[in-house]
Amino acid sequence: MTGASKGRPFFPRAMTTMEKELSFAIFFCQQLDPDQDVNRRILEKELGPRIRFFPLPCSGRIEALHLMRALEAGADKVYVVTCPIGACRYQEGNLRAKKRLEFAQKLVEEIGLEPERFELVNVASLGPTSVDAIARDLINREHKLAASPLNTKKDEKK
Amino acid sequence: MITAERKPLPEIKESISPYKKILIVGCGTCVAECASGGEKEVALLASALRMDAKKEGRDIEVREITLDRQCVYEFIDQLTALVDQYDAILSLGCGAGVQAVAEVFPKIHIIPALNTTFLAQTKEAGLWLENCRGCGDCKLDYFADVCPITRCAKGLFNGPCGGSKGGNCEVDPETPCAWHLIVTRLEESGRLGKLAPVYPPANWSKKEGKGPRKIVREDQRH
Amino acid sequence: MKPESRLRKVLTAGQFAVTAECGPPKGADPEAVRRKGNLLKGFVDSVNVTDNQTGVVRLSSLASCAILREEDLDPVLQMVTRDRNRIALQSDVLGASALGIRNILCLSGDHQSFGNQPEAKGVFDIDSTQFIRLVRQMRDEGTILGGDKLTLPPELFIGAVENPFADPRSYRARRLEKKASAGAEFIQTQCIYNLPYFKEWMKEVRDLGVDTKVFILGGVTPLKSVKMAEYMAKNVAGMDIPAEIIDRLKGVPSGEQKKEGLKICIETIRELREVEGVRGVHIMAIEWEEAVAQIVEGAQLLPRPAV
Repeated sequence: MTGASKGRPFFPRAMTTMEKELSFAIFFCQQLDPDQDVNRRILEKELGPRIRFFPLPCSGRIEALHLMRALEAGADKVYVVTCPIGACRYQEGNLRAKKRLEFAQKLVEEIGLEPERFELVNVASLGPTSVDAIARDLINREHKLAASPLNTKKDEKK
Repeated sequence: MITAERKPLPEIKESISPYKKILIVGCGTCVAECASGGEKEVALLASALRMDAKKEGRDIEVREITLDRQCVYEFIDQLTALVDQYDAILSLGCGAGVQAVAEVFPKIHIIPALNTTFLAQTKEAGLWLENCRGCGDCKLDYFADVCPITRCAKGLFNGPCGGSKGGNCEVDPETPCAWHLIVTRLEESGRLGKLAPVYPPANWSKKEGKGPRKIVREDQRH
Repeated sequence: MKPESRLRKVLTAGQFAVTAECGPPKGADPEAVRRKGNLLKGFVDSVNVTDNQTGVVRLSSLASCAILREEDLDPVLQMVTRDRNRIALQSDVLGASALGIRNILCLSGDHQSFGNQPEAKGVFDIDSTQFIRLVRQMRDEGTILGGDKLTLPPELFIGAVENPFADPRSYRARRLEKKASAGAEFIQTQCIYNLPYFKEWMKEVRDLGVDTKVFILGGVTPLKSVKMAEYMAKNVAGMDIPAEIIDRLKGVPSGEQKKEGLKICIETIRELREVEGVRGVHIMAIEWEEAVAQIVEGAQLLPRPAV
């Protein structure tokens, strides 16, 4: 996340003709997909700067600041994808991720943004799964989501 | 440690509204330990303020810095080279830190971002309990190491009151009754007799004194 | 005529004392105090005036007591340490005596967060036990805290409260003993509904010999309805209302519950009279002062002795 702290956006905004193309940040537990390194490349190639994956050794490592920085850097939606409840290798990592995400939701609500910009996704079961497939599923669900006001404001100004 | 909680964002926004260039100053000691004013919290607040300004189409410039201690001159001095470049300082120090910084830089507006709350013990991760009021006359030994001034809602010296129920306080049923703890601890160690004499009125002059208290230690001075 | 404590005289004469409670109005209305006082006149020996009970602002206890004196009643001034520091407490103790008030009940008071001024700063400079000792010192030694001499000591019969039903129960009799050794002369207890438990507590009190040091008045409150009983049982800490009492109220039609409540209260008083060491009864008919006459009459405590 050091890039964001220096104020360099992760997600260069699309041109106005592509305004509805949203940007996503996906934090995910590496335990979900041993081949995440390869699998995520497919979607990264396809969507370019509109998607960023952040593998975590455990979803419990997520901090509110990561979520805030992703949003600030231009993501319209930030996901935290965890192992199924009860299946965390470190016992309670995914439960902690939930609490951290809820805390971050309160912070963005204070500045008048929708808490839904952050979403926790507990995958249903552990099994052969690729982070690419998970991400596609999530993104396909988001056709109703509007662009983040942080991004539209910037576009209007242009 | 000294605990604090961040003020609601609208209150902070209101206080910084006249300013564009803001230096956010955290403190790496007590308020970092209680996750209200350390480096992380400075970053979170800075991020929130930046996003908020962007959303409303305002320009602000925010710089983050966290001092090891905001209440000690040697650390505050790190700000000396920076303050001239900013319109205001938003401090995430406790009340002592805010005032110490303000004393060093009388020309710049120092704004508190935290509500300083109490002297606490970290009971467990994410749970801080007030257990000392700094009365200046510690009698914990007498009260089985449970401070009635702090932990009894009425500060009774000869408790418990008539509202103790199931070991909890009637004022806040989630708080253990300090006097229930005192009595049971002394009972278990066969020292209940200690409570037989009436405990005399406290000497509040050690707390209230002649206004703000001070400690002078010649051996520590330069 | 020089005012005297009627309560003290009744108790020292060995009579079973009857006191009742009078809550001052939420306004500057002296007539409300007189009206309530006169409802009790002839039925009780002395009238307790509550001091901003439950932290709700009311006409001051001290002023109300002075009004009751004018009505020729014997007021018991309740004074809480919640709202006054030791300077104000000592000053008001002197003021009370100067106004002819002869009884004081020293309490810490309900916490301010319960009332209508939850943002108030609670004083609690001293606690109720320390306050008892202080009034005793003022009266008997003629000095205030710090030792300064009073030109004229206050004349007050000094009381305190105890709740036998609060926790930790094992310590409750000892706590009463502590208040007695601080200098309390009479004790009014929290409302008694659980008689078997109260009797056990009284045995502990007798074993400590405290019943011979203080006059103990058992507290009673007539229940108006099942709703009130359930509310008190659930929401008032240190209130012990056994299920049998609630069931008994439930067993009668709602129109009869008030009557049943009075009946329970009267029966309780009759039983209390038989308990060794109980020297009187304190009737707290909350906003139901009219009930006191019926209770006193029903419990065959009339006429009140001439002392």
